Amino acid sequence: MTDHPANGLDDVVHQRVRLGVLTIAHEARRVEFGYLRTNLDLTAGNLSQHLNVLEKAGLISIEKGYEGKRARTWVSLTPAGHAALRDEIAQLKRLINQIDRNDKRRKREHTS
Amino acid sequence: MTKRSLSDDDPRLELSRARDLARGVRRSQRATWFPLLVFAALTFVSLPVTFAGHIVRTKCQAVSGGVAGQQICRGYNSAVFIYWPIALVLAYVLIAAFYLQRSQARGVGTRVRSYVVAGIVISLVLTTLSVWADRRPPSLRQYDVLGWHVQSVNLYRFIGPAVAIGLALVVLAAVERSPALLAVTVTYLIIAITPVNFGWTITSHSRWAIAPHDVVPGCVLLLAAAGFALAQRSHDLP
Repeated sequence: MTDHPANGLDDVVHQRVRLGVLTIAHEARRVEFGYLRTNLDLTAGNLSQHLNVLEKAGLISIEKGYEGKRARTWVSLTPAGHAALRDEIAQLKRLINQIDRNDKRRKREHTS
Repeated sequence: MTKRSLSDDDPRLELSRARDLARGVRRSQRATWFPLLVFAALTFVSLPVTFAGHIVRTKCQAVSGGVAGQQICRGYNSAVFIYWPIALVLAYVLIAAFYLQRSQARGVGTRVRSYVVAGIVISLVLTTLSVWADRRPPSLRQYDVLGWHVQSVNLYRFIGPAVAIGLALVVLAAVERSPALLAVTVTYLIIAITPVNFGWTITSHSRWAIAPHDVVPGCVLLLAAAGFALAQRSHDLP
């Protein structure tokens, strides 16, 4: 089953939170830590762990700075991150097509 | 790569979740009401600017076959000619600053740069075309523009500030992926170029004769700004 679409999914990207981070960062030029935490409904520690995984994989870059006295962390997608997200979405679509084809075949076999 | 168990719903759920997140980001990024409000203000302000200026007549020449002494001239309003290019460029600087400040406050970046650059480029190109048109000999009939025959009155409508605003709003609609803004922009362009005045006309002898041409498109922009602001407000409320 090496050609099954599920085998093409990248473990780093194919995770609910990390896929969410990549999706949001893809839509925005860059996104702030607080926005990610609120929209993905995570604790700061949990989000930090996922961001570390993505940063180590070279899929995001993290920029830390200050706005006045307030510390801000901005996340942006690297070219590898854009490519990884594109591949993940393509694999998910392929997987959905395969599931649909299997469903139709099962229904045909059931009726005949 | 590790083995994983995937139920049949997983990929659909994940794709649907990703789409919802993307839609949420786009909603957070949108501030469509602000550019519309700025351009409505510029349109209304152009009215007193028009009154403040005076008509400069150039390239006057005798009308062939006309009454003796009858002349046709090219004319433009001195204040309006300066007002629009400067006002449009300043408006885009203001819009860029607003989006930047908003993106810092909300924690999500925007891709408004292409809109601002497109707006400034379109404004400068149309200003250059206006200068070119003013250097052409005056004509009662039509111009040859790249092989097309264009009525002189229509030429000015197609290179006017309303078209500069409208074309840039088309770019913003694409950037914000907003079909609603595209529909508003098409309506605005039709009303500004045709021009539609909803039966409101003022005698040509009055200095207010030009008012419907500015006020009606200005009201369209203002109403659209109010509509988008209300929609944004209802989205932002918890």
